[in-house]
Amino acid sequence: MVIDLKRCVGCYGCQTSCKAEHGTPPGVLFARVLKRELGTFPNTRMVFLPVLCSHCDDAPCVDVCPTGASHYREAGIVDIDKDTCVGCRACMQACPYAARYYNDEQRGYYGGQGLTPYEEARYAEQNCDVVMKCNFCIDRVNEGLEPACVVNCAARARTFGDLEDPTSVVSRLIRQRGGQQLQPEAGTNPSVYYLPPE
Amino acid sequence: MPRQADTAYTEFLSDLGATFRPQRQWVEGRGLYLIIGHFFSSVGAGTWLFSLWLDSRLGMWMAIAAVGLSGLAHLRFLGRPSRFWMMFRLRTSWIARGFVGMNIFLPAACLYVLFPTGPLGWVWFILSIVGMTFLIVYKGNVYAASKGVPFWNSPVLPILYATYAIRGGIALLLVALPFTGASVAAEQIGIIELWVAVSAAVMLGFYLGVMRQTNLAARRSVVELTRGRAAGAFYLGTVCVGLLVPIALGVVGVGNPLSHVGLALVGLFSLAGDFFAKYTIAKAGIYAPLMPAGTI
Repeated sequence: MVIDLKRCVGCYGCQTSCKAEHGTPPGVLFARVLKRELGTFPNTRMVFLPVLCSHCDDAPCVDVCPTGASHYREAGIVDIDKDTCVGCRACMQACPYAARYYNDEQRGYYGGQGLTPYEEARYAEQNCDVVMKCNFCIDRVNEGLEPACVVNCAARARTFGDLEDPTSVVSRLIRQRGGQQLQPEAGTNPSVYYLPPE
Repeated sequence: MPRQADTAYTEFLSDLGATFRPQRQWVEGRGLYLIIGHFFSSVGAGTWLFSLWLDSRLGMWMAIAAVGLSGLAHLRFLGRPSRFWMMFRLRTSWIARGFVGMNIFLPAACLYVLFPTGPLGWVWFILSIVGMTFLIVYKGNVYAASKGVPFWNSPVLPILYATYAIRGGIALLLVALPFTGASVAAEQIGIIELWVAVSAAVMLGFYLGVMRQTNLAARRSVVELTRGRAAGAFYLGTVCVGLLVPIALGVVGVGNPLSHVGLALVGLFSLAGDFFAKYTIAKAGIYAPLMPAGTI
């Protein structure tokens, strides 16, 4: 995936559409947008950084997992088998991108009112007391669709494609715009690239 | 939403917005059981080592009990404890290696204590040593493999944790001295304890010194440890109770041998220090920041 920071307007569309797609509870954000105001008045600027699981080639979360619940799937996607995860949270500590979340309880969005029928239905698909993360919407990808955060990005800041194919749009964008990985010093070779904002 | 969960969620949202996001999973709430588990497993493994050397049967049973308690604490920590038997992915996971070490150690150690001279005595002896070695080595490596927390991601940490494991073993034997009487060489253990305590102090200083030079997040963790949210427990528990008091008592004991009760106190302080060292190092963990510092 390539994220163009020049196009990102920080609308949180990716975050919201991801929540709708996966029905995640409060405290679990597969896709999120970090924002910072840098500088001092009047010379300030707002910067946005959409983050998600980087689906690293050399994923430390897969290495540390004692059960093999964190694993590589087809096309280099890193996923978690919710029925094998033991909830040790070692993968959370190993991930340099803080992209994993521990789902410790079935908490609803409307405190004190219990779960809504929608929440009950969506939470039934998930396991409690295990770690959760973005899987690039693998069910959608298998159907030939793009991940929810990509199709719902109003600014078209996200591009999804095959990094292995040098003629793909993502490969071309990375080459032409100087795409960079987040924290390359971690040595994990992430599959998410960022195009510079300027 | 229950009040406690509400507070935790608010704290979580605040953490997400922070430049330096603290790790809470391995130290707060049920995470405290992990620290307790690590403490008992290192103390148990160290105690086994010195009990074999000094031929202390009480020490051997205490080592087995400590490792057993560690296993229970680990199970309490896990989100899905009923799946514990799946933790066998030895090729890359230090947690799996620790789990296997514990599963080798517990039966082998029990069998060795019960049948030390039988035809299979040597087998139980060697297997217990193998399990013990796993237990001493794995914890530091579990932390060191955490690339998300630069403060832990260092080859120095496994050495520090191994030093603390050896020290914890001596400390538990010292605590048992009033009950074992003269059957154990008390002065000898006292001097070893002093030596290992000084080594642990040097290792801890070296570790913090290295981490101060590493990167932004590791430096911030050192600040958390020395001036931040872990500072109280660090100075009082790790430094004062865990290092200064045992070293001072140990130095006094070189000239005027301490009584068994005095040595037991040294052991008790050392054990407390061992626990607080693990607790504060975990508490000071900060995830590597993804964004430069600024206002939100």
